[in-house]
Amino acid sequence: MNTESSALERELNSEKSRRRRKFRHFADGFTRYGIGAGGLGVIVAISLIFFYLVYEVVPLFQNASIEEIAEYRVDSQQTGEQTLRLVAEEQNEIFARITDAGKVHFISVETGRVLESLSMPLNGQQITSISPTIAGQDTLALGLSDGQVLQIDISFRVEFDDLGNRIGVAPRLSYPYGKEPLQLDVEGRSLNYLTRQKTRDGFVLGGLVAEGKPVILKVRARENMMTGEVTLREERAQLPTDQHYQKLLFSDDHFYTFAARADGKLDVFSSRNLNSIEKMQEAQIVPEGERITQIRFQLGNESLLIGDSLGQISQWIIARTDQGKGPRQLVNIRTLKLGDQPIEVLEPEHRRKGFVAVDSQGRTGIYNTTAENQVIDTYLLDHHPVAAVISPRASLLILEDSRGSFLTYAVDNPHPETSAKSLWGKVWYEGYDQPEYIWQSSGADNDYEPKFSITPLALGTLKAAFYAMLLSVPLAICGAMYTAYFMAPAVRKKVKPVIELMEALPTVILGFFAGLFLAPFFEMHMPGLFALLLLMPLGLVAFGFAWAQLPDKLRYLVPDGWHVILLVPVVLFIGWFSFEVSQPLEVLFFGGDMRSWLSNDLGITYDQRNAIVVGFAMGFAVIPTIYSIAEDALFGVPKSLSHGSLALGATAWQTLIYVILPTASPGIFSAVMIGMGRAVGETMIVLMATGNTPVMNFNIFEGMRTLAANIAVEMGESAVDSTHYRILFLAALVLFGFTFVVNTLAELVRQRLRKKYSTL
Amino acid sequence: MTTTEKQRTHGMNMGALNRDAGSSELKLSRETSCISVKDMSLYYGESQALKNISMEIPKNRVTAFIGPSGCGKSTLLRSFNRMNDLIDGVTIKGEVNIDNQNIYDRKVDVADLRRRVGMVFQKPNPFPKSIYENVAYGLRIQGINNRRILDESVEWALRSAAIWDETKDRLHESALGMSGGQQQRLVIARTIAVKPEILLLDEPASALDPISTLKIEELIHDLKDRFSIVIVTHNMQQAARVSDFTAFMYLGEMVEYDNTDTLFTNPAKKQTEDYITGRYG
Repeated sequence: MNTESSALERELNSEKSRRRRKFRHFADGFTRYGIGAGGLGVIVAISLIFFYLVYEVVPLFQNASIEEIAEYRVDSQQTGEQTLRLVAEEQNEIFARITDAGKVHFISVETGRVLESLSMPLNGQQITSISPTIAGQDTLALGLSDGQVLQIDISFRVEFDDLGNRIGVAPRLSYPYGKEPLQLDVEGRSLNYLTRQKTRDGFVLGGLVAEGKPVILKVRARENMMTGEVTLREERAQLPTDQHYQKLLFSDDHFYTFAARADGKLDVFSSRNLNSIEKMQEAQIVPEGERITQIRFQLGNESLLIGDSLGQISQWIIARTDQGKGPRQLVNIRTLKLGDQPIEVLEPEHRRKGFVAVDSQGRTGIYNTTAENQVIDTYLLDHHPVAAVISPRASLLILEDSRGSFLTYAVDNPHPETSAKSLWGKVWYEGYDQPEYIWQSSGADNDYEPKFSITPLALGTLKAAFYAMLLSVPLAICGAMYTAYFMAPAVRKKVKPVIELMEALPTVILGFFAGLFLAPFFEMHMPGLFALLLLMPLGLVAFGFAWAQLPDKLRYLVPDGWHVILLVPVVLFIGWFSFEVSQPLEVLFFGGDMRSWLSNDLGITYDQRNAIVVGFAMGFAVIPTIYSIAEDALFGVPKSLSHGSLALGATAWQTLIYVILPTASPGIFSAVMIGMGRAVGETMIVLMATGNTPVMNFNIFEGMRTLAANIAVEMGESAVDSTHYRILFLAALVLFGFTFVVNTLAELVRQRLRKKYSTL
Repeated sequence: MTTTEKQRTHGMNMGALNRDAGSSELKLSRETSCISVKDMSLYYGESQALKNISMEIPKNRVTAFIGPSGCGKSTLLRSFNRMNDLIDGVTIKGEVNIDNQNIYDRKVDVADLRRRVGMVFQKPNPFPKSIYENVAYGLRIQGINNRRILDESVEWALRSAAIWDETKDRLHESALGMSGGQQQRLVIARTIAVKPEILLLDEPASALDPISTLKIEELIHDLKDRFSIVIVTHNMQQAARVSDFTAFMYLGEMVEYDNTDTLFTNPAKKQTEDYITGRYG
């Protein structure tokens, strides 16, 4: 006895076991810190993702900046020439200055040195007016003192030497319609104002001669296919009016003519047909006694930007009034304010719905109309402005003041399109009859007004999650209740892994199946679908009732917990029957076509890929998640509680509802929330089964576009660091926020429930 | 031993009680017996856990089952309110009659049987609800929602379980905040709130400290006027203290069933004597 214990003592005190204890101690600490580090690592990783999203999003909301580069006087000013127009190019190296002396000076942006001066063939006439620059149109029209119009093109080209090294930008002045001027005013009066717009097959010129009288000349150019020779066909028109106008503009293709009067009114003419131009409207643009100082087309020629003597710039479009039911009219969609001095210069940007406005005191504002954003507001000039130009990339602003100084500014304005309103609110876009929530990030050309409203995407996300939860929550929780509490252990051992295996099904397969099979199938068998939704629960209950009525002998053949097997043929039969009666039902109740009945009789829009399909497909994807967690929670309720309840004379159902469910409620709640988190973030199913239309409703027969699907669809087509790109990151951040808030709330509620229903 | 001796030792009317010569079983007449077990065997799958048990359990008395672990005493207790049904693969032969009705008859409403034959488990198992709701639970599931009746019944049950004074000021606090002994008395209160005829106590004090155990024992003593009590215990002193009759079981068999004093002082079987003197078990 003694020797044994001393041998044990020796063993316990030996070097080896001491080392072992030391190692055990070390392993203990290592594990503790290792696990701690792992947990922290997860938090750090999530934080990093969060901060990366924020990092990508923040520039959207940063203010634009403007910085003076240089101020200089250019050489040609000594001659006393007046600037008519400045033209900038993409590389910000050269700008063109067109003067009233009939000269085009190409000037270095950096130094103000004149690189090249060209004279235009004016035949001894004076230039009296010049047409406004229109983004995307290189051609400018010069109005001469004898009623003639000379058209010029100013273009710039980047030149390379033979080795492919960049030499610089080469300017070019050309005459697209020849050096011979066109006679706009047949009476040869001086053109005090000139406007030009291109049409489908040519262009249209408009001028104002003495006393503001308008003259219009439409020219169709036809190219001879054989010789390449261009023949021009001229057509003159008159406006049915005897008002005196100050400014004149033509919409694209000359559909509308806008003529501004001295009394602050704007006459709108329908000029689609030159022979019968009609006055449509007389719009009061500014209050009585104020003046319209500037009027220009916003990029795309869809909307007018009108600057006035009050320091405001208002945007007007032709839209149907009365929510799209009334006649077409010029309506004001927004008004932006710079100061209280008259707007002297208005220059739209070339590629975005932005513009620069300068008032008579030199206060300069840069705006974006879609976002109703004023990104810059600063005094750049001490004197009255004469001319301004913003480069095509909107990164260079050149201003000329009345003393003849040229000032150049670097503009850093990467994301003017985003504001709280453009992202979340209703915006009145060009071409729409009322403000709307729209997501349509890109269009075919540069003129397109991007529509970045996240609201329909957020709503679509909630809609998809809602319909998925509507299907999955009752099925999964009832299934979990049955499996955990009633099902025979032998059946449960098979059923639970099978349902959990469903989770492993790639969602792309579910989406593929839903989009290509389920969607057309439901469309073909819509009455059957509704019959199924109605008959399935009723049929199962009826079967249960019928089973209870059977003689005991028969009923005891099926042991407790195996009854679910009996339902398999019932479910199959109801499914088969529902779709079998679909056709007759459709003929009987809906005149053979439920879809047209829905849209014609009820006025409900029906999309083939709709919320029902998503509800089924995504519900199917979410069921295993909810089921598995809820089943674990229910099964984990101590048997002592259910036995205690049963021993008090409660039935199994009462025990389940009054004891098991409340005790398992924290687990069931987190099951639903985790399922919801999954439904909100799910991408492939909604991408493939919804049609991805960003609609703003909860109509079960229409699709939706979710944040996640939107990111997946558009990530590839957005330019890195563009506004669109960053807004996709914002969508991701919103999605992250959604799941974060949902999960945090869920955890808080769960903790409370757990405290309340904690078991021993 | 004669009936007069029994009367003297317990001060009770044991007129109907007599002992079969050559048998260790007590025979009770219809009026004095509340549970009558006839030749019952119970199997867990293939293995037999109870072997041909026959016994009469007297009304308004405390009957204790003792025996070493695994002897089947809890199984026998649980078969009185069919809690064994909840275990997979249990088969039962023979009869258990309560009120002249074999409770294993298919017509029997098990839920109602369990209301009439209440059970308290080894480990306190209050529901995660308030003290009040724990006691009211059994009534609520019977469809009683009248506030006045519930209030009265809860108070009555808590008073009967001698826990009213400790709980009356915290009726709406969670029952999980009570001590183990209090929880066990609450569970007893919850059980008697539904007015059962028989109380089955499955080692009710085995998880409790000595003072709580004492309180439970006093409570059993108080309750036996109103209920027939069957208690399973592995504590022989406890059986001797609280019970009127004691059954000794061994390996699924009812070895000896007798008046408690007799069984402890003068056991008829060698096995019983070995057990109560601590030679095995």
